[in-house]
Amino acid sequence: MTFHDAAAREFPPFSTDACIKCTVCQTVCPVARVTDAFPGPKYVGPQAQRFRGPTHAEAIPDHTVDLCSGCGICTRACPAGVLIAETNNRARAAIVTSRGASIRNRLISDTDLLARLGVPLAPLANLGLRNRLARWMGEKVLGVHRRGPLASFARRTFASTWKRRGGLTALPAGADPARTVAYFHGCAVNGFEPGVGEDAVAVLERNGFTVIVPRQECCGLPFISNGLYDHARRKAQRNLASLAAFARAGVKIVGTSTSCTHALKAEYREMLDLDDADARAVADATWDICELLANLNDRGELDTRFGPMHEALPYHPPCQLKSHGIGTPAMDLFGLVPGLHAVDQDHDCCGAAGTYGLKAERWQIAQDVGAPLFAKVRAAAKAGARQAACDSETCRWQIEQSTGVRTRHPIEILAEAYRRADAPADPRWRRIV
Amino acid sequence: MARADVAVIGGGLAGLSCGVALAERGASVFVAAKGMAATHWTHGGLDVAAPSGATTAREGVARLAKDRSHPFGRLAPVMPSALDEHVTRLADAGLPYVGGLDTPLKPIPTAIGTLRPAGTLPIGQAALLEPWRGVGLLLVGFRRYRDAWPGLAAGNLRARRWPDGPARIEAIEVELPELAELHNLNALTLARHFDDPTWRRRALRAIADAIPPGAWRLGVPAVLGLADHRAALDEATAAFGAPPFEMVSVPPSVPGLRVYEALRRRLVKAGGRLQWGFPVVEVERDGDRITAIHTEGASRTLRIPADAFVLATGGIAGGGIRGAPDGTLIERVFGLPVAAPPRDAWFGDDPLTAAPLDGAGIATDDELRPADGPRNVRVIGSALSGMRYLDERCGDGVAIASAHRVAAALAGAGASVRQEASA
Repeated sequence: MTFHDAAAREFPPFSTDACIKCTVCQTVCPVARVTDAFPGPKYVGPQAQRFRGPTHAEAIPDHTVDLCSGCGICTRACPAGVLIAETNNRARAAIVTSRGASIRNRLISDTDLLARLGVPLAPLANLGLRNRLARWMGEKVLGVHRRGPLASFARRTFASTWKRRGGLTALPAGADPARTVAYFHGCAVNGFEPGVGEDAVAVLERNGFTVIVPRQECCGLPFISNGLYDHARRKAQRNLASLAAFARAGVKIVGTSTSCTHALKAEYREMLDLDDADARAVADATWDICELLANLNDRGELDTRFGPMHEALPYHPPCQLKSHGIGTPAMDLFGLVPGLHAVDQDHDCCGAAGTYGLKAERWQIAQDVGAPLFAKVRAAAKAGARQAACDSETCRWQIEQSTGVRTRHPIEILAEAYRRADAPADPRWRRIV
Repeated sequence: MARADVAVIGGGLAGLSCGVALAERGASVFVAAKGMAATHWTHGGLDVAAPSGATTAREGVARLAKDRSHPFGRLAPVMPSALDEHVTRLADAGLPYVGGLDTPLKPIPTAIGTLRPAGTLPIGQAALLEPWRGVGLLLVGFRRYRDAWPGLAAGNLRARRWPDGPARIEAIEVELPELAELHNLNALTLARHFDDPTWRRRALRAIADAIPPGAWRLGVPAVLGLADHRAALDEATAAFGAPPFEMVSVPPSVPGLRVYEALRRRLVKAGGRLQWGFPVVEVERDGDRITAIHTEGASRTLRIPADAFVLATGGIAGGGIRGAPDGTLIERVFGLPVAAPPRDAWFGDDPLTAAPLDGAGIATDDELRPADGPRNVRVIGSALSGMRYLDERCGDGVAIASAHRVAAALAGAGASVRQEASA
C-alpha cells in the first residue's frame, strides 16, 4: 500500500491494516534506539491505532506517541507500505485537539511571528539568544533548552530585501513559465538565513531562470509537527492561494528547505487533508532546489562550469529529504565540482527534527540520536574539512551547534563553486591540499 | 538520476547480494527497495537446500535440480562458488559461517522446540554443528523478556525424537542487570545492551552463575550483540566455559539485522547507491527492453534509467507478487506473467504444511530472463517460480546463487559495453 492507494489516501491510518507485525519499523527508529521511554513506531502506531479511529474521537491516544520526532524513517522502512509516521502524527494532533498545546509549542511553531518580533530587534534578540542567563531563563520559563539549536535572526528578512531591490513578486508579462521559478524561501531563509536565499537566486539566475518571490508564509510544518493542525491549515491555505496560480501557469515552485518543500508536496495532503485541485497543482509543481538542478544536469542543461574546491565535505542527507523519494541530488551535484570530495555521513537522523531538539525535555534525546553523526563530522573536521553540508535548516543548526563545524546548505557550496569559476585568479582560493 | 548499468529492485538477501557483487565487479548499481526485507524477520542462517531425505546441502541441491523447473535446475552449477563468495563477504564483515555444502545436515532446535535441518550456520550458532557426546542442552531465558520461551522449547524438545541429541534438556530463567527498569524489551534492545562491554560483563556473569552443575551447551536468545557480536560471543564463550548458540524467535531477528547491515555497508563502500522507502510505480519500455523504472516520490516519481534490471522483490510473502481478489496473481513491478496453480488448488488440506501456492513465481530461461518478458530483466531470489522454500529450505541458497549468476552475467556484459563505448 502507498499513499496513492485509495484507502490510505482517504485516511492514512487505514494503511495500518496492512501491518504484518514484522517489527522492521522498531529496528530503524532513531528515538527508540536511544530512549526506553518511547515504545517505538509499531507500538504507538499500527498496534495502538486499532484502538483509535476516525469515529473514536473519545479514544485519546497514549501520550508516549508524543515522543515520536516525526523523522518518517519508519514509513520508509515498512515493507508493507503502512504510513506509520503519518498515523502517529495524526495521533499526536488528536491529543493536542483534546488537551491543548503548551504556550512553548505554540510559540516555537509560529516561526513567522518569531521573525516578525526578532528581525527588527535582531542585534538585541541575538544577544539574548547568545546570552547564557537569557537562555537559562528561556529554559525555566518556556521550556526551550538552553543549548537547543537556534540560529541568529537576520538583520532584514529575505522578503523585505527582495522587495527593496525591486525583485519580481508576480509573473511578468511575456515570461516563459518553463524558465521561471517561484522561490519558496520558507521561514528559515526569511528570518534567519537570507544568505541561502541569495545563493539560491544566484544559482537559478545563472542557469537562465527568472526568479519570482511570491507572497508566502511559513509552510506550517512546525505546527504540523506539534499537532497544531488548525494553525497549520491556515498557513497552508494562504500559501496554496498564493502559489496555485504559479503552479497552474507552469511555473516551478522551488524551495531550499527540504522540510518546506516536503510539506508542499506531501504533508498538506497527507496530514492536513487539503487534497483539492490547488493542493495537487502546488504539490506537482514543487521542487527541491537540488532536485531541480540535478534534473537539469541529467538533461545536459545545467551550467557545470564550477570552479575547483579541493576539500572534503561531510554531508548529511536529512530525513525530510529522504521522504521526498528523490535520491540524494546534492551528492550528484557535489560530484560535478572539481576536487570536492563530498562524503555521505551514512547516519539516520541528526535528532533535531524541526522543533523537537529545542524542547527542554527532548534535547538530550535529540543529542543522543545525532551523536554518531556529530562524531563523524567532528572527525572529518579534524582531518581537514572546513565545513559540512545539509539540506534542512534545523538539522544544519543542530549539527553546527553540536559539532562547532560550520554547516551550510548545498546551494551555498554550489554558489561558492560558481564564484570560484568566475574568479579563478583570486589568490584566496589558491589552497594547496 | 544518472544512468546506472544495473538497477536492482529489492533490498533483501538476493537484491543486496546481487548489488554488492555487481558493484564490486565495477558496475554502477542502483538498488531501489520499497522497505526493509526478510533479513529482518528470518533467522540469519543460510538455508542452502534441505529437502526431506537429503543428508547434505549439496545432495539437497542436486535432488532439487532434477526438476528442471526448480531454480536449482539451472543454478546448481554456480551454487558452490556463490556460497563461497557469500560467506567470504560476510566473514570479511566479521560474520563468519561454519559448515558448507558437504557438512552433514544436523537437527537444530528452534525457539518453540521443534528441530530443523541445517548445515551452514553463522558463528553464533556454530556450536550446534558439534556432536553432543553426552553434553546436556541448557536453554536460557531472561526474566521479563517475553520473546523467548525456554521452558516451552525444553518441554517440546524432550518429547521429540532427536537422534544423537543432548544427554538431557533443561531450561533456566536468568535475571539480567537493569532490565527491570525498562518498559520495552525486545531482541534489539537486548542486543544493544550486549554491545555495551560493561553491561555485557555483568550479564554474562549472571548467566554463568545460574548454570547448574554438569556439562552443558547453552542455547541463548539471539541477542549477543549487534555491532559487536564477535566480542559478545567470545566473552560469552569464556564466561560459560564453552561456546553457546543463539536461538532466533519472533522479529526483529538480530542475526538477520547483522547480515543486512554487513551487506548494506559493503554495497555503499563499493559505490552502489541504495534508496529504500518507495515502490516502483512506473516502467518505461522500448520494444522488448526496459529503459527506466520510476519509484514513487512525495509528489513526482524518481526516474532511474539503467541498461539492465534485476527483479529481487520476493514472492508472495515478500510482496513482489500480489493476489488480486479474483484470484489472479500480479507481479508488481513489470507485470510479468506469474506461474501458479489454479485458484482452487492454491492450498492443501493442512494449513500448517507447505501449499502448492508456495511454488508460484516468475518462470525464466536459463539466464534467469523472464519467459515472455523484457529481454534486459533478470529475476532472482524467491520471485522465481518452482521452489517451495518453506518445505525445501532452499530460500537462501536460491537467493545467493541467482544473485551470483546474474551479477556475473551482467557485470561481464556491462564491462564489454563500456569497452565498446570507449574504443
